[in-house]
Amino acid sequence: MYPPLTILGDTLTWLVENQQSVIEQTIQHLNVSLTSVGIALVLWVPLGLFLHEHDEFAPPVIGTAGMILTLPSLALLPLLIPIVGIGVAPAVVALVLYSALPMIRNTYTGLEEVDESMVRAGRGLGMTDRELLFKVKIPMALPVIFAGIRQAAVLVIGITTIAAFFGAGGLGESIFAGIRLDFPRQVLGATIVVSVIAIATDYGLLAVQRALPGGSEAT
Amino acid sequence: MIELDNVRKVYGDGTVAVDDVSLEVPEGETVTLVGPSGCGKTTTMTMVNRLTEITEGDVRIDGESIQDTDVIDLRRNIGYVIQEIGLFEHMTIAENISIVPDLRGWDEERKQERVEELLELIQLPQDVKTQYPANLSGGQRQRVGVARAMAAEPDIILMDEPFGALDPITRDELQDEFLDIQQKLDTTIMFVTHDIDEALKMGDRVAVLRDGELVQYDAPKDLLGSPKNEFVANFIGEDRVLKQLSAVTVREVMNAPQVGEGAGENPLSPDDSLKVALQRIFQQGDPLPVVEDGEVVGQVSEADIQAVTDRRTSEVLQ
Amino acid sequence: MSWAAALALLDVPLSSVFTGWIDYIGANWDQFLTLLRGHLVMVGIGELLAILIAVPAGILATRDPRLARIIENLGAVAQTIPALGVIALTFTFLGLGKRPTILAITIYALFPILKNTVAGIQNVEEADVRAGRGMGMTNVQRLRRIELPLALPVIFAGIRTSTVLCVGVAYIGVFVGAGGLGTWIQAGLTTVNYDVMLAGAIPGALTVIAFDRGFSVLEGMVTPEGVSRDTTEGGAAA
Repeated sequence: MYPPLTILGDTLTWLVENQQSVIEQTIQHLNVSLTSVGIALVLWVPLGLFLHEHDEFAPPVIGTAGMILTLPSLALLPLLIPIVGIGVAPAVVALVLYSALPMIRNTYTGLEEVDESMVRAGRGLGMTDRELLFKVKIPMALPVIFAGIRQAAVLVIGITTIAAFFGAGGLGESIFAGIRLDFPRQVLGATIVVSVIAIATDYGLLAVQRALPGGSEAT
Repeated sequence: MIELDNVRKVYGDGTVAVDDVSLEVPEGETVTLVGPSGCGKTTTMTMVNRLTEITEGDVRIDGESIQDTDVIDLRRNIGYVIQEIGLFEHMTIAENISIVPDLRGWDEERKQERVEELLELIQLPQDVKTQYPANLSGGQRQRVGVARAMAAEPDIILMDEPFGALDPITRDELQDEFLDIQQKLDTTIMFVTHDIDEALKMGDRVAVLRDGELVQYDAPKDLLGSPKNEFVANFIGEDRVLKQLSAVTVREVMNAPQVGEGAGENPLSPDDSLKVALQRIFQQGDPLPVVEDGEVVGQVSEADIQAVTDRRTSEVLQ
Repeated sequence: MSWAAALALLDVPLSSVFTGWIDYIGANWDQFLTLLRGHLVMVGIGELLAILIAVPAGILATRDPRLARIIENLGAVAQTIPALGVIALTFTFLGLGKRPTILAITIYALFPILKNTVAGIQNVEEADVRAGRGMGMTNVQRLRRIELPLALPVIFAGIRTSTVLCVGVAYIGVFVGAGGLGTWIQAGLTTVNYDVMLAGAIPGALTVIAFDRGFSVLEGMVTPEGVSRDTTEGGAAA
């Protein structure tokens, strides 16, 4: 057993002494996580838009995405390995799948919940469906869509840790090694870095959202 | 001019929302559509900008059927104001006002000029331009809503209970301001309301609807004077006579002045309503002289006013 | 690429994906039951502890808006800590076995329940609360008769989310010697045997789906008649 302050000191020491590998693993980690979020973004946000146009598909699609999200990562990753092999690929596929619910659901509900009066005013003033979507609905839904992206990103960064067990690399490697070697400072150090990455990504995306036109005004 | 020609709207489930309505809105006039909820007044109006598609009949604007016009062009040429205002919350006030000019591709300078002009017209300070709708009061927001509808100088504006969500004082203010604006502009306006007082105040003509049918279409004072049936009379309300007095001016009932009569201390103007005249008569005596531009042009007595209400009341009771 | 083509490339016999793992479970039935039972026991105890802590704490938090805000912020941070990290840390305090995993499950399950308890009670219409006060109900009566019954579906949704989440956390317990279904995944991976890996993975996936559906039904049962059910967030992977 360690007194808490000693642990924190040890952890800092470990982080400083191993900064080389910590930085390397951080880059690997971000690489896997952000690639997945990027692919997910390209797939799921347009799917959310599609569901907004075709309501009837929303319940089954969102239901399926919800079911996928409940699957334990340690159960889903092995299911993918026979299909896409070991390493980064199954990790990315799994992470993209996990991102589906927050991204699709938020895009869809964000668009659905745009105030009806704005849509009616826009239509009455002669906006085409396209103009209505791009000038009114998407800007108004953006905070909700972004909240979904942020949720997905935080989730993905956490699960990437587990993917290390299947050869995807990243900070999970340090944690697994820390468990094997019974080396708490390494476990704590890597865990803190993962959390910091998640929080930083969350805030980074929030900043991006605010920087977008009108982003700080619409709530 | 807007012509509704035997328009009908039947929904998919067989509900008849509007049944065979024909009416003309002359150029530059304001027509109010009034009736209890579910009477089809909004549906009737939105058929003009095709937010509601017509089942049967036709709507013509300046003689041309709206079915022959591209629906987007049609709407961009018609202003539209709704009760919920529906300002775009992510756009500044200037962006909101200039949305239709923007859609039509006006250049920046022309848009700016138009925004400034309109802000002046609706009596809002220029510095609200960069603000967002959330920063404005309900009354200010609806003024912006009206400005947005007028931005591209449409010949026609459709207004769906535009002042319905405002408190009574603000509503009154906006009604008066809008009447002023309307006098300067000569836009053709269709104005939906469920409030008969508003309908009488704002409309050059009032169309009373019930269950999708047009019951009566008349100028306010004719509506008050000779409601077509009991429904209209009831809809106008118990205080019909008082409303009628407000709708008729002294000019319409005054007699020639008696020779040698002076202006007196507090004479009537020909543009005063009979309601004002009656009040003064009770206070100052009967009859009262009517003065215009410093000259006595006539006189009004209690009996003259009585005659107006009697005549019209008896017409209804028959 | 079709499944069959992909599997051929990887030299995995197609039969293994569809039946191999079932055969493996059949052949190792006793061990399977032990692993499944171990898995569910960890989830059950961890979740129960979490409920016992989070629901009262949540109720307490709604009595003080500052406390509610602190919990909300803590919850947001807790969400960013990887489950593996939590387990690895509890392991350093409690050593090998099921106990560190149970503790990690409790910690992980805490926040969804806490968050929903606070949200559920806060969402009770102000008018209902005032009506209760107007009738002369004491604080405790109001809580028991108005706020809790109306908040129950939301609290239940939190329990559902966290239970599903914890089935996943329990898998990770294998790395600190907790047993459970993760055992076969680790074994399968080290021996490169997909049958074993899938025998560990698929029952767990089916378990969460069963839990999710089961809780959904329960949620409907605790929803007072006349209250429309909130569409609650689905679970979250761990």
